[in-house]
Parts: sequence; C-alpha cells; structure tokens
Amino acid sequence: MPRIYFKTADQYVEFAEGDEVNVLRVAIREDVDVPWRCASGNCGTDRLMVEEGAENLDPPRRRERARLGELVDEGYRLACQTYTRGDVTFSWNPDQVGLDDEPGDGDGAGSRTGWAGTG
Amino acid sequence: MYTVAGAGDSDLSPAPFNRNNSYNGNNADREHNLKRQEQSMAELMSSSEFRVAMEDAFSGTMAKDASFSRAWAAGKLHKQHFVHWATNHYHYIGPFGDYLGLMYANTPDHARDAKDFLLQNMYEEELSDDRHTDLLIRFAEACGGTREHVQDRNNAMPFAKGMQGWMYYVSGRENFVVSSAALIVGLESQVPSIYRAQYPTLINKYRFSEWEAEFFDLHITSDEIHGERGYQIVLKYADTPELQQRCLHFVREAADMRFAYTKALYQTYVEPDLGPWVEEDEREPALVG
Repeated sequence: MPRIYFKTADQYVEFAEGDEVNVLRVAIREDVDVPWRCASGNCGTDRLMVEEGAENLDPPRRRERARLGELVDEGYRLACQTYTRGDVTFSWNPDQVGLDDEPGDGDGAGSRTGWAGTG
Repeated sequence: MYTVAGAGDSDLSPAPFNRNNSYNGNNADREHNLKRQEQSMAELMSSSEFRVAMEDAFSGTMAKDASFSRAWAAGKLHKQHFVHWATNHYHYIGPFGDYLGLMYANTPDHARDAKDFLLQNMYEEELSDDRHTDLLIRFAEACGGTREHVQDRNNAMPFAKGMQGWMYYVSGRENFVVSSAALIVGLESQVPSIYRAQYPTLINKYRFSEWEAEFFDLHITSDEIHGERGYQIVLKYADTPELQQRCLHFVREAADMRFAYTKALYQTYVEPDLGPWVEEDEREPALVG
C-alpha cells in the first residue's frame, strides 16, 4: 500500500492502492501533529516541504500557487490543498505559523518557510 | 488506515438507488429493513465500527453518482444547465451559515470543540475570504446567468426548497450530534468526491478559468477538512446506542435527500434537452461516441 511519511512527527500512514487522499485530512484523521489553521489555502500554516515523492502529488491549483508564490518552486505544498496517490515524505517546522503572521518577516527574525535559519 | 477494522455491520440498508438512478425497492421494504437492522445493532459501537457504519450508510447514494453529476463529469451538459444548477444550489446551500448558527445554538457549552468548529465553518462560509455564495454567483455569471436570476427564489425547483427546509429542520430541531451527522458527514463530506470529478471537466472541456471555477476548487479541499472534523465530532459525542443509530438514520436520509435533489436537476433541466440519462457503457452501440 502507498504511504505518507510525516517525517517531522516520525509517523507513517498507509492508504489503499488506487486512492487519492488529501494530505491534511489524513493527518487530522490519524492525529499527526501537522500545524494548520484555516484549511482553505488562505493562511499557509500547513505548508510542508516535499522531501520525496513529488511526482505522486497532484499539481498545485490557483489558490495554492497564489498563497505560496515562489515557495512552490522551492518544494513546498499546502497540506490542505494537496492530494497524493503514492508514496511521499513531508517535513515541516513544528512551530511554524501562518505566512502573514510570522514575526519579523523580512528582517531575519523569521522566514517565509517557517524554518529558523533556513530559507 | 482506510481499511478500518470492525466492519461487521455490513448488513446496513441496501442502496435504494442503482447506478441508472432508479429506485431498487419500495419504501416499506426499506423501512422494515432499517428497523430490523437498528434493532439488531442496539449496542454501542466502537469508534471504528461506527465510522465504517456511517461511511456505509451513504456509500450507495452518493450524489456524485446521480444522473446530473454523471452527465456533468462526462461533459454532456450545456452552460444553461450550469446556470440552473447554480440557481438551485444557491437556495440549497445559501443559508448554510443559518444552518450552522442553529446547530451552534443547540450545542452545549461542554462540547466547546464542536462549537468552535461550527463557528469556524460559519466564518469560512461568509467572511474569511470571498463569500462562498459570491463564488457560486461568479460561476453562474461565467455561464451567462445573472445574480438576480440566481437569487430569485422563484427560479428554484421545489426539490431545492425542500432541501433548504429539511436542513433548517434538522439543524434547528435535532441534537447537535445528529445534525452534525446529517449536514457535515451526510452532505458536506460528499462534496470533494462530487467536485473532484466535475472540476477537471470545467477547466479542460468548457475552458472556464480557474478564477471562474474557484467555487469548486475551494470546496474540494475545504470540505475534506470540514467532513473529517464532522466525523470526529460525531464519533466523540454520539455516546449512546440511540444517538449512534439516530446519526446513522440521518446520514442515510441526508444522502437520500441530496441524491434525489441531484437527480431532479437532471430530470427537470437536462432530460428535455438530452433525454434520459444512460451510462456510457450501457448505451446502444450506435449511440455511443
């Protein structure tokens, strides 16, 4: 069976072959501690770095592209907007907040990726 | 994970409709079966058993399988059919904030997570971004309709008004767990499966822009989460056999209502143009293609 590896939480979730599943829905259902807030592609709290398996994800649509901007090209996806049909590995910053809520955006105290010291 | 254990209750009611949208049996038989099954299941189900029972309760009557949805996904509809759909849908889901508000008022303070979910759902419907009904009207306008036509209640089918009345009834009169099962699990959680089949057709065949079709894109994803949270609330607070059974009853009823409403859209607006709906693989060879 294909599986999603939520690397930061060190949790695997398997799903049925042939299914396409929403990543945030899976995380909520299986109590994986992915940060999220609006689940509508507005806040960006649930942005995840795709470490492996990007080819198994559906392409980002308008809302996700608009919210993430260049982060899409850096390998980020919004969990709420993303479906997978195969193996994939995600990581994230457990303390990340919404893209509009980050302290010191642009002054070095925070970053759009949510990773301290990266991005 | 989605091969949940505890599916021993698979003798839930048979699907009342077949894939050609005709009824499989009479109401008396179905009611009899439901009563028998409910009597035999009058014990508290585990969380996993109850979830499977809810999923089974509407698996045979999902609106994605109704004729109007099938014709839409197959690219058979014309833009004026979409205007009729949007008009009726407006009167069905337009008061969704009202329904959620009634449910909120019926939810006790100790179920704070359920109250917060309803409030957040209401906020997302109305205020967090574009108002959802405005996105619906945007789509209708892209199909040649007008805001005035969509908002005029006289342009909606009796079925749409029936859906609206049923939702006001359930949200206002039933226990909040039961109304959550009906409106969130039975109706809202179906939305991604419907729109995921229809959205690619809108973009690829009809050449709507992503902006024009944003109503669908938004609901594909947001209702995944709403649906999942609805499941969690029902699983948590349906803590007696009676409440579980009433939830199952209303999940079935919600699915039946939406299926019948969706089927009526085809019969009312499409059948006069295209004839009765026949699945592609069941058409006469000369008619296929």
